[in-house]
Amino acid sequence: MQIAFYLSGLVAILATLRVVTGTHPVHALLYLIVSLIAVAMVFFALGAPFAGALEIIVYAGAIMVLFVFVVMMLNLGESAVEQERAWLQPKAWVGPAVLTAILLIVMIVTLASGDYSGSISGDPLTAKMVGISLFGPYLVIVELAAMLLLAALVAASHLGRSEAHDEADLARERQREINGQRELEEQTRRTAPPRETRQTPFDAADKDAGTQEGKA
Amino acid sequence: MSHDAVMALLAISPLIVVSMTVVVVMLLIAWRRNHTLSAIVTAIGLNVALLALLFGWTMGTVDVTSVLVVDDLSRFGGVLVLMSTLACVTLAHHYLEGYDGPRDEFYLLLLSAAAGGLVLVSARHMTTLFFGIELLSMPLFGMLAYTFRDRGALESGIKYMVLSAAATAFLLFGMALLYAVTGTLDFAELGAALSRDGGDPWLLAGAGLMLVGLAFKLSIVPFHLWTPDVYQGGPGPATTFLATASKVAVFLVLLRLFQSTLAFHQDWWHDLLGFIAVITMLVGNLLALTQNDLKRLLGYSSIAHFGYLLVALVVNDGLAVETVGVYLVTYVLTTLGAFGVVTLVSSPYVATGGTADASPLHHYRGLFWRRPYLTAVMTVSMLSLAGIPFTAGFIGKFYIIAVGVEAHRWWLVGSVVLGSAIGLYYYLRVMVTLFLHEPGMQRRDATHDWAERAGGMVVLGVAALVILLGLYPTPMINWVSWVAGS
Repeated sequence: MQIAFYLSGLVAILATLRVVTGTHPVHALLYLIVSLIAVAMVFFALGAPFAGALEIIVYAGAIMVLFVFVVMMLNLGESAVEQERAWLQPKAWVGPAVLTAILLIVMIVTLASGDYSGSISGDPLTAKMVGISLFGPYLVIVELAAMLLLAALVAASHLGRSEAHDEADLARERQREINGQRELEEQTRRTAPPRETRQTPFDAADKDAGTQEGKA
Repeated sequence: MSHDAVMALLAISPLIVVSMTVVVVMLLIAWRRNHTLSAIVTAIGLNVALLALLFGWTMGTVDVTSVLVVDDLSRFGGVLVLMSTLACVTLAHHYLEGYDGPRDEFYLLLLSAAAGGLVLVSARHMTTLFFGIELLSMPLFGMLAYTFRDRGALESGIKYMVLSAAATAFLLFGMALLYAVTGTLDFAELGAALSRDGGDPWLLAGAGLMLVGLAFKLSIVPFHLWTPDVYQGGPGPATTFLATASKVAVFLVLLRLFQSTLAFHQDWWHDLLGFIAVITMLVGNLLALTQNDLKRLLGYSSIAHFGYLLVALVVNDGLAVETVGVYLVTYVLTTLGAFGVVTLVSSPYVATGGTADASPLHHYRGLFWRRPYLTAVMTVSMLSLAGIPFTAGFIGKFYIIAVGVEAHRWWLVGSVVLGSAIGLYYYLRVMVTLFLHEPGMQRRDATHDWAERAGGMVVLGVAALVILLGLYPTPMINWVSWVAGS
C-alpha cells in the first residue's frame, strides 16, 4: 500500500508539473485529469475512500465541464476538424497515457495482492464518519460554507454580468428615439417638400441596422 | 432545546442576524430593485446585530460548538467590524448613486464580508479561521471590482484575488503541517503541542507558513506589494471596508492565535517578529514619502500602522492586549475619517474607464476654500494618523511606545519614533495641499448636500469622536482594559 501511495503521489506531481508548464489548454486539461485521479488514489491509499471518490466525481467532473466549454468556444467547421486531428497526434496523449498506465498498474497490483482493507495507518474513513463529523462538531462550518458559496455566487454573477442587459435597454431607448423621430418626420412630411420625405426611409433603415448591430 | 444550546445561539446571534440580513436583502432584490431600500434594510440588520452584540455582553464567555468562542475580545472586535461596516453602508449609498449598473449587490457582498469578520474575531479553531478569512475575502473580490468597467477597479479586484489566493494556499499548507504533526486543529491544543515540542522543524515550518498567510492579509512587509494598487483602484466604500473591518478582524485572530498557540518560547521568534515590525514601519513610511496619490499614500500609511501594532504582538505581555485594543479603536476611527472624505469627494461615482475615485492629490488642492468642514475632517484624520496630541491617534501611539519601553525593546521604540517622524512629513504635505490656493485645473468635488447625507454625518461624527477621544480617552481606555482584563 505504501508503494501505491508513493507511486500515485509521484504521478500526481509529474502530471501537475505538466499542467503548469503546458502551453496548450487542452493538453493541460488532460494532465489535470490525470493529476486529480492520482490524488484520488493517494486518498484511497491513505484510507479515505470517501474523499477519493469525491475527488473523482467532483473534480474530474468539473474538468469535463471545462472541456465542454473549450469545445463550445471554438468555432465549429472545417477548422474544428483540423483542430481535432491536431489534438489526436501522439504528442498530445502519450504523456497522460503513460502516467495513467502507471496508475492502472498500481491499481491492478494492489487488487492482485488482495490487500483491500489496508491503509497506511489508522482506520479507513467512511462516508458515515465524514457525515457525522460534518453535522456534529463542524455544523457551524457547514453553514459558513453555505454563506461563502452565496457570497462567491453573488460576486461571480455581478462580475460576470454580460453587457446584454444594458445593451437591450440601450437598444430599446434608441428605438424609442427613432420612433419619436419618425413621428416628427411624419409630421414634417405632411408639410415639407417631397424631396426630404424620400430620404427618411433610408435614414430609418440605417438606424435600424445600427440598432441590430448593437444588439448583436 | 437545552440551556447550553440556547446560550450558544444567543451568543452568536449577531452572526445569525447578519447572515439573515443577507438573505432578506437578496429576496428584496428578487422582488424589487430599490437602491435606497436595500441600503436601509442592510443598515437595520447591522444595527440589530450590533444591539444583539451589546446585549450579549452580560453573558461572559460562551463556547459555541467546539470551533467558535464568544468572549469579550470577540465582542470588542465585533463592535469594530459592525461599526465600520455601517459606515461603509452609508458611504456606499451615496457613492453608488452614480453607478448605472445594478447597485444592490454591493450590500449583499458587504454583509457577507461583515459576517466573515464576525466569524474571524471569535475563531478558536483552524477551520473557523480559514472559513472566516475566506468569507471576508471572497466578497471583497467582488466589492473591489464592483465598478468593473473601470480598469483601476478591475485591476484592484484581480490583484487582490490572485494574491489572496496565494496567501490562502500558504495558510492552508501551514495548517496541514501543524495538523500532520499534532493531529489537532484547536488553537489551545495546538498551543499545548507547540510548547511540548516546539523545536520540531515541521511545526516551525507550519507556524511560519501560517504567519506568511496572515501577514499577506495585514500587508506586513515583505508581503505588502498588493496594498497600494488595491487601495488606489478599488471603489471608495470597498477600500474603506478593506482598510478597517477586514484588517481589524484579521489582526484580532492573529492576536488570539498568538496568545493561545504561537506564543513561541524561543527568543529568536520574537526577534524575527521584531525585525519584521521594524522593516514594516520603515518601509511603509519611506514609500509613502514620494506618493502623489492620496489613496496610495493611505495604503502605505496603513502598512506602517500595522508595523506599529506588531510591536504589541512582539512584546505579548503586560499591557499588550490593551494596547492592541486601544490602537485598533483609534486606527479604525481615523481611517474611517480619512477614507470617508476620499469617498465623499468621489461621490457620486462617475465612470471614467480608468480610476474613478478622486485619488490624485491635486484633486484635493484648495479643498478648504470650497468645503471647509470636509477639510476639517480630513485635517483631523491626518493629525490623528500622524499621532499629534489631542487626537485619538496620539493615545494609540502613546500606548505602543509605553509597551515597548516597558519591555525594554529599544530598537522597536526607536523605529516607532523614527517612523512617526517620517510620517509627519507626508501627512503634513496632504494638509498643506488642502489649504493651498485653488488652481484652475479640473478636479473632483463633493456634492453640495454631502453633510446632510448619512455618509457625511458619519464622517463628521467620526472626526468629532477622534478629537473627543484625544481629549478625554478615559471611557475608551476603561472599556478596552476591561475587555483585556477579563
